[in-house]
Amino acid sequence: MNPGWDFHAIAPVIIITATIVAVLIADFFFEYRGRFRTQQIASLGVLAAMIPIITLAVDGGTREMFNGGFVVDPYSLVFQGFFLAAAYISMLLSVDYIGDGDYYQGEFYVLLLTSVLGMLVMSSARDLISIFVALETISIPTFVLAGWRKHDPKSNEAAIKYYLIGVMSSAVMLYGMSLVFGLTGSTLLSEIADKVRTLDSPLLIVAGFLTIAGFAFKVSAVPFHFWAPDTYEGAPTPVTAFLSVASKVGGFVALLSVVWFGFSPNSAMFQPVLWGLAAASLILGNLVALRQTNIVRMLAYSSIAQGGFILVPFAVASDGGAWTSSIQSVVIYTLIYGAMNLGAFAIVIALARRTRSAEITSFAGLGQYAPGMAIVMSMFLFSLAGVPPFAGWFAKFTMFRAALDANTPAATVLAALAAVSSVIAFFYYARVAREMWFHQPPEGADVHPIRTPVALNAAVVICAAIVIAVGVYPQLFARLGDLAAGG
Amino acid sequence: MTDYYREYLAVAVLIGAGLAMVGGMLGLGKLIRPTRPQPQKYVTYEAGSDPVGGWGQSNVRYYVYALLFVMFDVEAVFIFPWAVRLETLGVQSLISMIVFIVILALGLVYAWRKGVLRWA
Amino acid sequence: MILNQFLILAAVLFCIGVYGVLARRNGVLVLMSVELMLNAVNINLIAFSAYLRETAGEVFALFVITIAAAEVGVGLAIVLLIYRNLHSPDLDHVEQLKG
Repeated sequence: MNPGWDFHAIAPVIIITATIVAVLIADFFFEYRGRFRTQQIASLGVLAAMIPIITLAVDGGTREMFNGGFVVDPYSLVFQGFFLAAAYISMLLSVDYIGDGDYYQGEFYVLLLTSVLGMLVMSSARDLISIFVALETISIPTFVLAGWRKHDPKSNEAAIKYYLIGVMSSAVMLYGMSLVFGLTGSTLLSEIADKVRTLDSPLLIVAGFLTIAGFAFKVSAVPFHFWAPDTYEGAPTPVTAFLSVASKVGGFVALLSVVWFGFSPNSAMFQPVLWGLAAASLILGNLVALRQTNIVRMLAYSSIAQGGFILVPFAVASDGGAWTSSIQSVVIYTLIYGAMNLGAFAIVIALARRTRSAEITSFAGLGQYAPGMAIVMSMFLFSLAGVPPFAGWFAKFTMFRAALDANTPAATVLAALAAVSSVIAFFYYARVAREMWFHQPPEGADVHPIRTPVALNAAVVICAAIVIAVGVYPQLFARLGDLAAGG
Repeated sequence: MTDYYREYLAVAVLIGAGLAMVGGMLGLGKLIRPTRPQPQKYVTYEAGSDPVGGWGQSNVRYYVYALLFVMFDVEAVFIFPWAVRLETLGVQSLISMIVFIVILALGLVYAWRKGVLRWA
Repeated sequence: MILNQFLILAAVLFCIGVYGVLARRNGVLVLMSVELMLNAVNINLIAFSAYLRETAGEVFALFVITIAAAEVGVGLAIVLLIYRNLHSPDLDHVEQLKG
């Protein structure tokens, strides 16, 4: 009757939980001036949680708990490592932003870590119930984080929009999940996969559609995207970075688990929906990004479009022999996307400390007075656009490879769409670069070199190193993709 | 009279005793308390403050208490099924539940430390 | 076992909830509509669970109930925050950011 506990397998989850408790208790005792220590405890906890992930990876093999509802295998370890790294970099971005005279430091890290806890569980969840609980554990703290600046109506608005769409989407997703449960009689993804293979009911399509629509809200795929730009603009920028990377990838992991482990034998349940979502996100995300004047909104639409690129392999996965290369592509794309997007946001935060503005024009002349920042920012932008030798090209390459492996008319059309929108995307990324290098700084602007805090520098350096290293030597992440897809 | 009905007699006695006790208490109170009717005493009771009429917004301060109550109330749904099966689940589940309740209680400690529980 | 009636009830409740979320402007009423949607899901889960004699659905419903409570707690807090800043729970007044 007892569930078999494998403490090694759940060690990362336990460490993060213990860190949350420790930060909360520490926050009770530190006086106002000592509050920055909560950040140190939180960072240490995240780093400590990496250790069991490495030992588990060295150990290899698959560990199952709760009748196969919680699985630790290379697939989950790759994503857990990614989430911890993204959380660590997000914390580096937040240090000074949140530290600037903010009373509620401890709470910020408690909420951030709770969200990370949900992501760790999500990577291992192979059961509708635990996927739902993990998704909500990711989302609910981020609703609060989006509204962090309590007295700023913009931040309030970001929170309420994100919240309403979030709860609506979980209700829609749950309705779909309840139908899936009713039709298959199980919440375990492996048993669902067995049942949908033979089941032929129109209701099954509806159930799959509703479940995926719920996830589409979370990953802000068009036409479920309209909350994203407003929330990204209104929320504090470090939180936006966290939302656009960690929380979004959390949604993709949920989608990938459900589609790959659960729905895969019945491609009608997910393929047409995902094809539509991918095509719409690619076209609309890129076209609307073209006419944004605010860098955060531009990055919001860019992340919608990047989400479209990640959805392409999903939409072609069950055709031909594309399963393996699709999974590899999704894993590799999300990892690379995380590094380059966090890097771009780090630069936006660093510049906004000086200019107090998020307009694209505030980047004018950056190449003259802060060449270092301008160089890395250009690097992240060109990586997002997919220009070699930065990591983005490899992400796009794996995506096209998956589409070509599928080798069906639908997949080819989607690949063509992706190619066209990559070209469109190049223009708006290049526009920011042009602003930095070829425009003069505005009259009366402060053109002293920008001094950035140590933590922010560290975050930029980590992201830049990943973007260059993977761009030049893609085998680094290709191996991770192989491992994840082999599980 | 069969045993079956005799057991119901006990129920009737219990109900009778209950009614008698409540009636006795209220009657006794009526007999010994002083009566001085005043108009203020017939005003609707609104947590001690003067009623404002219509249906006014309830005070924001109640919200925190309602929220804390709902949190703990709802978490109880996990404790009931656990309690029913505790004997078969053994010590390990007892430890799990203690961890669960301690983490929940931390939320209450948090509210207390932040002064939310003070009626200011 | 009458399964269909429960499913129809749940579907109707869910649709009323969706309508409420889309049409209502008062923050608190929107939250109540979300509750309707989640309870429709619970009816579905319990009905399937009883029909299939499979307890997983009931466990699922328990988790939905607890998480709905947490969501509504956070939601009320955000609506309250907006009420303090704008002195109105009307969500139409929240339109600083243009999407």
